[in-house]
Amino acid sequence: MSKSRPTILICDDSLLVRKKMKDCLNEYGDFDIIEASSGQSSIELFKQHDPDLVFLDIVMPDKNGIDALKEMMAVKKDVKVVMLSSSGTRSHLKAAMEAGAHDFIQKPWEKSQIEHIIRNVF
Amino acid sequence: MFSQYFGNYLLNKGIIKPEQLTDALEYQRSVHLKLGVIAVNAGYMTPAQVEEIHNMQKKVDKRFGELAIEKGYITGQQLEEMLATQRQGHLMLGQALIDRGHLTIEQLQKALDEYKKEYGMSTRQFNVVRKDDSQEIEQIFRDHGEALLGKMYSDYVTLLMKNLIRFIDDNPTIEINQFKSDITAQWFVSQEIFGKINMLTAIACDKDVFVKFAARFAQEEITEPDELAQASVGEFLNLHNGIFLVNMSNNGVELEMNPQQVEKNRMLANPGKAYVITCSMTWGRFDVILV
Repeated sequence: MSKSRPTILICDDSLLVRKKMKDCLNEYGDFDIIEASSGQSSIELFKQHDPDLVFLDIVMPDKNGIDALKEMMAVKKDVKVVMLSSSGTRSHLKAAMEAGAHDFIQKPWEKSQIEHIIRNVF
Repeated sequence: MFSQYFGNYLLNKGIIKPEQLTDALEYQRSVHLKLGVIAVNAGYMTPAQVEEIHNMQKKVDKRFGELAIEKGYITGQQLEEMLATQRQGHLMLGQALIDRGHLTIEQLQKALDEYKKEYGMSTRQFNVVRKDDSQEIEQIFRDHGEALLGKMYSDYVTLLMKNLIRFIDDNPTIEINQFKSDITAQWFVSQEIFGKINMLTAIACDKDVFVKFAARFAQEEITEPDELAQASVGEFLNLHNGIFLVNMSNNGVELEMNPQQVEKNRMLANPGKAYVITCSMTWGRFDVILV
């Protein structure tokens, strides 16, 4: 499947976070944005859409973000997954980095952090 | 149990007008709480004695406390106690109302006495905490006999105050109370923290405050308790708890949390012992519950 625009998957159970992230991403480029509201649906949408970049929350229903990250990495080991969580504890940071996360952004994020990621990945 | 914010009390009783409260709230950010107001609140001095000392200060270059001790109105220990409580929230408002000419010190004393009587509060329970009063918050939990969890609770509440200022309102006031009966709420947003310590955290409020809270945090136009409003209040709690977990992690305590839940017309059966942190803003009040 060829894609005309880069695809970004936003995984967060909060509608507000997804909305704010979409608004922010739209300022920095023209993307196909896919949204998932739980850990399990994020895996399904990941397999379905093969995104170029993923923003992944940690505390989510069904499946937490660390487990979801591991599954995504198993499907596509060079995928860029940025953890985006309010809970940047030492154990979460360690687990995310060990599982292969591209970056970790502690909420609340600054627009400049998202811009930096976008410029870095695309 | 849910003590009423002193400013709202003064409004409801018709003691001051809304514009006077707004003016005083604005002014109190820079107000310096005078010892005379504290002395009257503590019952150490009468308004007449305070006036007498103020008049003496016009003639003698001495501090209020020094003169009050010389006159035998207060002891040195009472003075120390008064200096330590110079940042009490409700008194800051009282001082602002006096400074702006909306109340006399006699009127404030009467209102304070009636407020305390009506809500059955001791001076300690009456303490309202503002901004950086982390020591005051710690003391409240210590007074409640929470030796072990007290530090965690006080860290949680101190952070709550900072996050309310950062994300919701730059002039919040909070009151801390224990609660030992059923808790009901029109809107109830909760999140469990677990690990070495287990804690249920929640925000409880009515519809009007829920919507206003949501709009402020989201910085979006929200007029109904719809999905975006629910996501907004939920995300505030999630964000606050996440930052709390990071702070705990930095202190060597690793905790986890479950996804937040939003419920309507929730009744929380008597949790045995809970802390209710009543947060008051000019636009409404809500409770943060710690079980």
